[in-house]
Amino acid sequence: MYISDYRRRCEAVFLFFLIFLLFCIARLFYVQFFRFNYLAEIARKQHNLFVELEPRRGTIFDSNLKPQAVNIPVDSLYASPNSIKEKDKEFVIGKLSSILSVNSSYLRQRLSRKKSFIWLARKITPEQSEAIKQLKIKGLGFIKESKRSYPNSYLASHILGFAGVDNTGLEGMELYLDKYLKGEQGWGIYLRDARQNKLDLWQQMVLPKDGYDVVLTIDEVIQYIAERELDKAFKTHNAKGACIVVMDPHTGAILALANRPTYDLNNHADVNKDITRNRALCDMFEPGSVFKVVTASAAIEEKKVKEEDRFFCENGEYRVANHILHDHEPKGWLSFREVIEESSNIGTVKVAQILGPEVVYRYMKLFGFGSKTGIDMLGEINGVAKPPKQWSKVSISAIPIGQEVGVTAIQLAAAYSVFANGGQLMRPYIIQEIRDKQGEVIKRNSPVMTNKTLSLDTASRIRKILTGVVEEGTGRLAKIEGLSAAGKTGTAQKLEPNGTYSHSKFVGSFIGFAPAEEPLVTIVVMVDEPHPNYYGGVVAAPVFKSVAHDAVKYLKTMQRDREVVALNENKRIY
Amino acid sequence: MNLTRFLSIVGFITCFSLLYVYQQTEIFRLAYTGQKKEVVFQDLLDKNYVLKYNIKSGASLTRIGNKISGSNDFQMPDTYRLVRLAPTRDGFRLNNQPAGRETLLSKIFGVKRQAEARTITP
Repeated sequence: MYISDYRRRCEAVFLFFLIFLLFCIARLFYVQFFRFNYLAEIARKQHNLFVELEPRRGTIFDSNLKPQAVNIPVDSLYASPNSIKEKDKEFVIGKLSSILSVNSSYLRQRLSRKKSFIWLARKITPEQSEAIKQLKIKGLGFIKESKRSYPNSYLASHILGFAGVDNTGLEGMELYLDKYLKGEQGWGIYLRDARQNKLDLWQQMVLPKDGYDVVLTIDEVIQYIAERELDKAFKTHNAKGACIVVMDPHTGAILALANRPTYDLNNHADVNKDITRNRALCDMFEPGSVFKVVTASAAIEEKKVKEEDRFFCENGEYRVANHILHDHEPKGWLSFREVIEESSNIGTVKVAQILGPEVVYRYMKLFGFGSKTGIDMLGEINGVAKPPKQWSKVSISAIPIGQEVGVTAIQLAAAYSVFANGGQLMRPYIIQEIRDKQGEVIKRNSPVMTNKTLSLDTASRIRKILTGVVEEGTGRLAKIEGLSAAGKTGTAQKLEPNGTYSHSKFVGSFIGFAPAEEPLVTIVVMVDEPHPNYYGGVVAAPVFKSVAHDAVKYLKTMQRDREVVALNENKRIY
Repeated sequence: MNLTRFLSIVGFITCFSLLYVYQQTEIFRLAYTGQKKEVVFQDLLDKNYVLKYNIKSGASLTRIGNKISGSNDFQMPDTYRLVRLAPTRDGFRLNNQPAGRETLLSKIFGVKRQAEARTITP
């Protein structure tokens, strides 16, 4: 009996454990086969962290590979409002408000949200970040982000443009080349521990593809020189606006381009759209006397006129249809050369009357007016060049002297380069090449000739006349000591809203190139509404002089340096 | 199966499992260590970028040029005023002429350019 009781108790215990074992097996079976996907998903979410990997935005360089737009790592401040105690919130708001220079009501509104993550300030300065870290406030954290920065602040602002807070291009080259600069985002699935800390172990990863670097044709030194002188003229003559373009006449490469007013690229948040627009490409103006070279070129190329042919300038008054044309100074008999040197309207119109509207228009188009130059920048406009069938009876007295025509500064730079390079209209360009991070060039721009506008002989003869303008004519203030220069002054009346020409608003300009015999640079200077002085020869010519003087010296020094390096390299081979 | 064999198999499996667990924990431990070092390294890299940027920004033409323009009428110098320096072990040396090689002949016969003082007429 004792044995059978014992046996029964053993069997009962065994049965209990057997049932328990069967239950465990059933449970395991259920978890493994029926709940596997659901539980694996939860585990995956707990253990894994999907992170987007930001690519590095490409750098923009000048032609000497000096960086103009770069990325620097900065902190962005976030808060977990749920982690900040109510009694500490006012203290936090006060401190952050003074460090970040932000309205405390904005911070109060952000911190009152019932969220675990909110941004407080994106891409703050290292000094601000350090000051906040010193406070050691629980509930505040930092995330590293990349901030687009411009080491030269306002230099070349209208060329470079700027990128927004998410590193997307919004203006200028940053916008135009955004698809090359931005790169491709990558991603990674990282492991996390039980405290949600990210570990440097990843299950899967697609590396981000960094953006391409861009090399521009601009030279930082020439850009600085141009902006320095433009600034002086803009302030001295109380102008509404101004622009300057410096171009290599043989290739069309833009060495410098600047506008005034300008802005700091590192503080572009509240800048007016009026300031960010690129006047050299977007602003059209009646060129005035600088346009007379088109008429002069046509006359010589068509062999209708020679330099020593004489024209009577009607002592300053000349009737064309129902309009009386005036010269700025009454003149009698002038040679063709003197007509251009002294900028006689009447002399120029008489030359145009010999040519006829069709020929004048044809040469306007050969010089590229009325069409975009094709420069690789955003915002370029066509300008205005009316075909002869749209001319009125007085147009023959207006268009050849630069009225009833709309041009941009970049069109004028390309047009005047024709005289500097022997007769070719070159397409202006500003992007030299695009390269990857290894320096491999993926796209390169080459000089392109748009038109063969003039013969070598005509270009040379016009160049001599333009040299005379600087030596003895209206452009005397552009004369450079120790260096020859050629160019033309322009003083154009602006149009009032009622369609009449203003007597108080002018555009003063000077376009030229230096040295005259073997030009290295073509320079366009345009000053909008200068006062009290408004003549191009007074407000714009001195800017040309200073920029040409320094730019030519600089280019000659750089040229010599390259020759010496090449010579040294050859010597080392021997 | 006798007891000895059973115990050796169990022992082997246990050691192997312990080794595996140790390996896994080592991976995580190294990941934590690597993470800490990476934070320090990344911080230094970031500071380096920021410093380089600050140097470039501080040395930019706009900053230096405006300071100079404020006190002087700075002009681009002529090429004859420029002096070229070449780096040497002890510092720099003047290098206005392209560096040429001294041959044995020139050493023996002293066929070298003599130093001369020339008045430069601009």
